[in-house]
Amino acid sequence: MEIGLKMDHLSVEYFGKCIHDIVSISDAILDGWVMKIKNDSENGKYIVKKQTTLLKAPEDASEVPVTFEYHVAYNISYGVPVLCFNIWQPDGSLLTLEGYWKSNMAFGDSNMYETLTQMDHPVLCKPFLSLHPCKTQEILQTFLATSKNPVISWLTVVGPFVSLNLLEEYVKHC
Amino acid sequence: MTTLSYVQLSSSINPSFWNKLSELKLDVFKLNEDGKDIWGYFPITVLIVSSTNCATPFLEVDSTSFNSEVNGQLTYLKFHGKLYNKNTLEQFKECNKMELINGVGQSITEQIISGKALCDPSILNTFLLLSFADLKKYHYYYWFGFPVPKGLVIEKIASSPIIEEFSLELAEKIHNGYKQLAINQRCYFLVIKGKSGLEVYTLAEKLKDINLEDIPEVYFVFHNISSVSSSIGSQLRNYVTLLLHECKFLANEQVNFIAFHLSREKSRITCLDSICYKLKLPAVADSTLTSEWVGWEKNERGKMGPKLANLKNSLDPLIISENAVDLNLKLMKWNLVPSIDLDKLKNTKCLLLGSGTLGCSVARTLLGWGVRNITFVDNSAVSYSNPVRQSLYTYQDSVEMKPKADAAAENIRKIFPGVNSIGYQMTIPMPGHTVGDSMVNQTKETVEKLIQLIESHDVIFLLMDSRESRWLPTLLANAQQKVVLNAALGFDSYLVMRHGIYVENATEQSMEHPEGYRVIDGANLGCYFCNDVTAPCNSMKNRTLDQQCTVTRPGVSQIAGSLAVELAVSLIQHKDGVHAPAFYTTSQNVSSQDLSDINPSNLGLVPHSIRGFLSSFEQFLPATQKYKNCVACSDMIIQEYKEKGMEFLLEVFNSSKHLEDVALLTEMLKETDFGEVLEFSDEDFCSQSSQ
Ligand SMILES: [Zn+2]
Repeated sequence: MEIGLKMDHLSVEYFGKCIHDIVSISDAILDGWVMKIKNDSENGKYIVKKQTTLLKAPEDASEVPVTFEYHVAYNISYGVPVLCFNIWQPDGSLLTLEGYWKSNMAFGDSNMYETLTQMDHPVLCKPFLSLHPCKTQEILQTFLATSKNPVISWLTVVGPFVSLNLLEEYVKHC
Repeated sequence: MTTLSYVQLSSSINPSFWNKLSELKLDVFKLNEDGKDIWGYFPITVLIVSSTNCATPFLEVDSTSFNSEVNGQLTYLKFHGKLYNKNTLEQFKECNKMELINGVGQSITEQIISGKALCDPSILNTFLLLSFADLKKYHYYYWFGFPVPKGLVIEKIASSPIIEEFSLELAEKIHNGYKQLAINQRCYFLVIKGKSGLEVYTLAEKLKDINLEDIPEVYFVFHNISSVSSSIGSQLRNYVTLLLHECKFLANEQVNFIAFHLSREKSRITCLDSICYKLKLPAVADSTLTSEWVGWEKNERGKMGPKLANLKNSLDPLIISENAVDLNLKLMKWNLVPSIDLDKLKNTKCLLLGSGTLGCSVARTLLGWGVRNITFVDNSAVSYSNPVRQSLYTYQDSVEMKPKADAAAENIRKIFPGVNSIGYQMTIPMPGHTVGDSMVNQTKETVEKLIQLIESHDVIFLLMDSRESRWLPTLLANAQQKVVLNAALGFDSYLVMRHGIYVENATEQSMEHPEGYRVIDGANLGCYFCNDVTAPCNSMKNRTLDQQCTVTRPGVSQIAGSLAVELAVSLIQHKDGVHAPAFYTTSQNVSSQDLSDINPSNLGLVPHSIRGFLSSFEQFLPATQKYKNCVACSDMIIQEYKEKGMEFLLEVFNSSKHLEDVALLTEMLKETDFGEVLEFSDEDFCSQSSQ
């Protein structure tokens, strides 16, 4: 994309195009990303995907099925995409930050509050879990000039920390 | 022969489902317990992404389950549900479960007989949900059922992968045919391998035309809900019920089925993991099928029984807001100040004497620090001029002339319901404000109340607008060895200070301090009155702070209120608490950085007082010794109060001169040069600031 070359940040329009492409790819391979639109809001477009996974219960290492609901939305103030998510057990109760931390091996020994945080969803204004957004601009920066879809490129870097692995089909479009 | 074994669905509830159910129960269902139609969604993606290690097939319900139209996403099979929400836990427990599932099963049979299920085979995918919502506790009792006829036994004769029965090309044709079907036809359909080639049909299109001799060419397809392709979802039994009803000749026959299964092969979705079955169907009359239905879900203990979801933490907005407030502070702790003790702050009880500009500002900053116990005291009502400067009040409060203490306590709970706040409307007795005979009892009561309030709090904030009213709480809090924070305002200046802690016969301790600094330990720090030699009666001099009708720059109270809280927090977090020493310098040329090594507090310095001047935007951190003849905190005054109690106080209220006598000030005034007694006075600073 031409404009990619000149950009130093991701515009809301470009973000909208990127997530639109993600949904198109997803529709073709039944991957489950859905576009959501909140009409009266400048950054009202975001995409959502649900995924059921087994997490290890910290007490006895038994496996508990949980549903992740991932949201990729746009933060107007920082001009960056945001990956946030909620996790619930089959009875509908949400996992807390601490609860999730204990069962997620991907974090290793790092400091929980430096890695994960709770923040308000940029569109829904409700608390969601999220990877700490500090480095987003930094990661994004490397893709803005080179990737045809910086949102996908960014997701492939940060998603795996929270069990979100993008299939090859997406990567082909970057 | 083998009897088929089945996989049953498990329920997975999106928190939004409970949210919506609560809303509907309150606004729409109310006490109506009739069955409500709801939708369930079975995600096909779970099957496709075989890499997700989760083998249990889940049926999801969410807030859209209550919509009249189903959410028609390609990635879901829809399930028809009946919700029975009971009004009490007893009704939930005692209702006849067998009758309930039989009733739902019955309606499946009815729709098979009426032909409705033939046109819309998704009806065969049915569930019921029995629930009771305890909306106060956010407890949800629930039990899912996936009804299938009990008496239906299907024999498995043989099974083979689809590619052994069909060529790759034909398998692809089945997949394409599937994609052409309407979404509600995709769960059950027909494949016929006729002379003219392979065709895909909906049930309604072709089922009635099939004869016994066609059977070898017919494949009855069902979208298998089992994520393991070798096992079969229990809903097959409903399918067979429909087939036996429409094609009675199938009884006792061996019939072809395809357990349709989508999976991903590289970038392509295929149906190559589907399995062909040869099944022998039973001979059963419709009436047997309709009588008994089974399929209640097992609970987490593997028993047939209901489940309980405790959603208090997920749904109660009160808990959500408390957690969010706490988390904000935890992030500060983890990222910036690991040693900070947040629980200590949370449990600190704060008494705010004065609920005006300062009181509002202090209360709000306390909220930010996660303080949960705030008590307001004031004697006035909200006036029209107040709301713009006093951040806890609104115009409406002034129209109604609400007592400030009550309005503040009420409004702060609107800002954050997790706070325990209470207001007391009372006038604090003052030295020199004579108590008439008729008022003696009431004054005594007020003093008792104030003593009790100070006793039941940890930090006392003096935020009144008059100097005299600070005297009694200064004395009482001192006698009870409480932390006292004092803030006073001038037009464009402020004073924020902590009072020294009262220790009987305190001795001065020598402490290390960097060059250019002096230090005073917490027990030897002065109070608000230490600087002023005369008793707090009507002000003798033209004072800048704390004067009646003082007009202030609007920002002054916000600054001073915030500083009072920050000073309190620094003090509480200091390892020595109220005994934290105050370092100070009288020289302009000393850098405060030297202090960080010597004063081990996780939040930095804990000064004795902070004086600021907006005219020059300057701030100073002076510290003063406890004054041995202070009218509020000296040993003599405290001893006199401890010995004579109320009698002493009443004497002071009647004549502030009495204070000067007790504190031996009267003697002193004759012989002392004030300039030597004072480290600083307001005047010093005023002249400095006006330069
Ligand atoms: Zn004093």
